[in-house]
Amino acid sequence: MKKLNKYSRRDILKTSASTASVFALSTGFPTILKAENNIKIGVPTILSGRVAQLGISVSNALNMAVDNFNKSGGLDGRNIELIIRDSRAKPDEAARVCRNFINSDKVDAIINAEASGASFAVQEVIRESGTLCLHTVSETTSLTADPSIRTWNAFRFSRQGIHDAVGSAEYAAKLVKEKGLKKWMSIGPDYAYGRDSTKTFFDMLQKFAPGVEIVGQGWPKLFQPDYTEVITQIVREKPDAIYSCLWGGDLVSFVNQAILYDTFKNSELFAINLADYTTMSAIKNLPKGLHSATRYVAAWPNTQDNRDYDKAYTDLYGDHPTNWSWETSIAIDYLINALKETGSTDNKKLAEALKGKTRKSFMGVGEGNSVTIRNNDQTLVDYSIGWGTTIPNDPFVKDIQSVDWNTIKELEKEWLINKGWL
Amino acid sequence: MNLLKKDNFQRDVFLGLLVWFMLIIFYYILPDPGIHDIIQKVFILGLFAMSLNILIGYLGLIAFGHAAFFASGAYTLGLFLQSDFVLNLAGFSIPVAIVLAVLVSSILATLIGVICIRLKDIYFSFLTLAFQMLIYSIILALVNITGGDQGLMGGFPKPPFLGIDLGKPFDFYAFTIFISIITIVLLRQLIESPFGYGLRMIRDNSERPAALGFNNQKHKLIAFIIAGSIAGLAGSLQALLDVGAYPEWAFWSKSAEPLFMILLGGMHSFLGPLMGALIFEILNDFVTANTRYYGLVLGLVILCFVLGLKKGLLDWLLIKLNRK
Repeated sequence: MKKLNKYSRRDILKTSASTASVFALSTGFPTILKAENNIKIGVPTILSGRVAQLGISVSNALNMAVDNFNKSGGLDGRNIELIIRDSRAKPDEAARVCRNFINSDKVDAIINAEASGASFAVQEVIRESGTLCLHTVSETTSLTADPSIRTWNAFRFSRQGIHDAVGSAEYAAKLVKEKGLKKWMSIGPDYAYGRDSTKTFFDMLQKFAPGVEIVGQGWPKLFQPDYTEVITQIVREKPDAIYSCLWGGDLVSFVNQAILYDTFKNSELFAINLADYTTMSAIKNLPKGLHSATRYVAAWPNTQDNRDYDKAYTDLYGDHPTNWSWETSIAIDYLINALKETGSTDNKKLAEALKGKTRKSFMGVGEGNSVTIRNNDQTLVDYSIGWGTTIPNDPFVKDIQSVDWNTIKELEKEWLINKGWL
Repeated sequence: MNLLKKDNFQRDVFLGLLVWFMLIIFYYILPDPGIHDIIQKVFILGLFAMSLNILIGYLGLIAFGHAAFFASGAYTLGLFLQSDFVLNLAGFSIPVAIVLAVLVSSILATLIGVICIRLKDIYFSFLTLAFQMLIYSIILALVNITGGDQGLMGGFPKPPFLGIDLGKPFDFYAFTIFISIITIVLLRQLIESPFGYGLRMIRDNSERPAALGFNNQKHKLIAFIIAGSIAGLAGSLQALLDVGAYPEWAFWSKSAEPLFMILLGGMHSFLGPLMGALIFEILNDFVTANTRYYGLVLGLVILCFVLGLKKGLLDWLLIKLNRK
């Protein structure tokens, strides 16, 4: 059949494809150098899917600090250029993105804002390349505690599972004694973090309050939408308290569904990851009296510096910072300071400048409100960990009690020795 | 020698070595490690996709669980190189690890294949998927061995062998491409052999070869094992590149990747999946560097191929060339 139109649909498709290819080749591929003079920082993170909030809040924190640094003249006129890319939470993709940063973009440092699985992949890439890497999200203790995984050029600026476990158990033990919370249940996501966090919490709780009994444990799949099975188990067992390390949308779904069964009238919830604005604001009618660690709230630490940080961030982005924001903010602050101190992007010099360094911080509870990158395992300590109870409105958490870092360090040491890591 | 003959082994070896040699020259002409990284991954993922295409393109069986073999190859290599055997074998560790990875994947493919090839169509597809998810769950459950959901941690050594140090970028680049090309040449021989044509006969009309005395089940099983073994080889090379192995490599979404590559490159031309891997990797590099809407862009591109070309790119090109 003779074509009536001069151009067929197929011709149009072919032309579009060719134009797209030329455009692609001229603009993006390969991802090679753009501005030679800038200090380049590669940031592999998660910007898509259910935890895209992670990458967004990390990017916000970085942009806030870097804009200020660049506006103030940078490092002898050299600006910081952030290259932020999505790994889609896939470890091999995180490794590829990281290799690209190092090989093609020639970055001076990596700020790794990946979740745990992909962080271990990034760790192997930077171990081989010797590129300076600041981890700002992974809370898995072994990343920096296990000597076989540790490397000279990697520093952790995120909170750590073992620190939270000790803090949580110390707080919970006080209530065990005050209220007689003997019967416990747990609900945690069915993967390494969930199981490790739950086990470490109960190990520590037994130390502080011997005689506590675990009457049931629920292990829903990560990102599971329905928690009825575990909730009915809770209703049946009637525990005095529930420990949960669910996080994000999973925790929101669990709390929303548990409210329907009046679960928290008989059992007190200790949810380690609840007190973060994105989580609390997503819960319909946040109940009074749920216990949580302060992931990030403007009310804790109760200092002007922290309130100023929250205000600066909220003014810029129209949303509160998250736990991931403060961790990243501290990391970029340390890196900028190391750049200024050494006047160089030499990774060895920067690593030396970071090691053992104590700096004043809005999240610091060390001497003079400081945090420290510990010398031996290159990990952040003396950051604020508080536990309190929820209220439905701002400031969302009240009666916050500070966790004692001396106890954390003492029990962490004991735990590391038991693991054979010290 | 008849150069036009499809199964001309010498010609294929010559062409393979020529391509390898040209890519070595390319390495020096364009010393951008980012591009070298893409080329390496194209060959690794190309092997993975070509292995799946033995089942899809030549046998007409759509396997949804092919990543199980990719992951088994990766974990076998990683676990072996993390073990104390490395101390004893030293220089032979990596060749032995690769051979073991292929062997373990082939054994796994035999066990799974014996059950799966009894079924066809959607039942075959979903049974392969079920086995893959079983492997995935085992990887997650054996935390002390596999590292669970965090993957093999702590890296592993890459002891030099026969003067090849895979810790050096050039050596790794040349080695990966060499192994891939050799495998592709051997696979070509297989596909153009009577065995390969037997697979096509089963695909087109399974009753006819059976009537001619063919043992269809045996043919299918051998094809399944070969496909699994090559996927295991690809997985072992990927593990060497990333110095680790991750449970995501055994997840169902990983099995979708070679399917996309076959769709993009073409399932009816031998090198179609390799071209698909090239398109896939370039897209991956370009899209992740410029936008966060990876799924949207990949979906649109596949839509263009499916609706516009109605076939993979190499299939389309070959048809165009043959017409001329």
